[in-house]
Amino acid sequence: MITNDEARLREALTFTESTIPERISADPEVVENGLARLVLSIIELVRRLLEKQALRRMDAGNLSEEEIERLGSALMKLEEKMGEMKQVFGLTDEDLNLSLGPVKTLD
Amino acid sequence: MNDQSAEDLSLLETLDHLLDRGVVISGEAVISIGDVDLLYLGLNIVLANVDAIVRTARRT
Amino acid sequence: MKVVVIGAHLHRTDIEPLAEAVPAGALWLSGISVDDNQPLGDRDLLLRVANVRAALLERATFVAIRYGFAADVAKVTPYLAKWQQLLEAHRDHVEMTLKVAAAAPLPRPDRRDYASGAGYLRALHASAAEIDPRFREAAEARIGGIERRWTPRDNASVEMAALVERADVARVIEAGQSLKRDFPEVPFLLSGPWPLEVFADDHQ
Repeated sequence: MITNDEARLREALTFTESTIPERISADPEVVENGLARLVLSIIELVRRLLEKQALRRMDAGNLSEEEIERLGSALMKLEEKMGEMKQVFGLTDEDLNLSLGPVKTLD
Repeated sequence: MNDQSAEDLSLLETLDHLLDRGVVISGEAVISIGDVDLLYLGLNIVLANVDAIVRTARRT
Repeated sequence: MKVVVIGAHLHRTDIEPLAEAVPAGALWLSGISVDDNQPLGDRDLLLRVANVRAALLERATFVAIRYGFAADVAKVTPYLAKWQQLLEAHRDHVEMTLKVAAAAPLPRPDRRDYASGAGYLRALHASAAEIDPRFREAAEARIGGIERRWTPRDNASVEMAALVERADVARVIEAGQSLKRDFPEVPFLLSGPWPLEVFADDHQ
């Protein structure tokens, strides 16, 4: 692996650790929020996958005008729905960015 | 660049490739939380109709 | 027990004894058996799978399957013909990945500013990160390879996947070193080799 400017790379490159849920406690209140967080993380994953696909297809130039409208519209609606659900569950974007914790080296 | 930071970055990159790449096969991805497996049925619709996702999002 | 699937391979001997081989039509799926209760979000399991993936790649190229799936032959059946084609065509090829950070990330468009889906999607597309065109040109020319694909990542970075001959990997790494020398101000990361990821994944 070859890198340049590791500090800036770490800031700029978002590594996808965030789709992995942490272990949660058995406390029912926490469990409920934990489930909500998991479900929202999954939907966020789907949204990001969709967005990536849509952008890739736009790059390739193989989307009809109608498809562009439908995809864009669906992405907007997904984002809007995500926003509402985050509010309902009192979760922020940061809450959904679950990290794996301190980085451990490979043995 | 020190050795530790290079190793960290290498690990992050490895995990990024593991978690964010690869073909998505339609069907279930088994996601776990604590000791409980939650089957997520939704990944097949990434490959299919976008509208279905919006309808699902509206129902929840 | 469930089998966490890693990839799709041409031959059983490409897999064993590094991982378990599950027959799937004319192909084989590689995987690791874990308890039904094993959480997939477990750091140790992730690292183990990452290590096995790397070892498998040293043997032979394979189609990488996204992490998190349990092996289910019925579910992969629709893909087998295409995967076989890819594996036969790219028997001696691997992927190398170049991630580049943008000099000045563009802000993400706010959906509330757009009345139409098309407007929003176009704005999203336009806000994808821009990198120094000289670097981009040099990267393409020096890394070379059989085929290259630039894929959008986010507003702060872009990524290029290059399909290269296995025997060419050392030269590509050299090319990375030369890019590092000639463009000290461009933060980038060249990594690999990787199995077929981007090039296995052309979503229609």
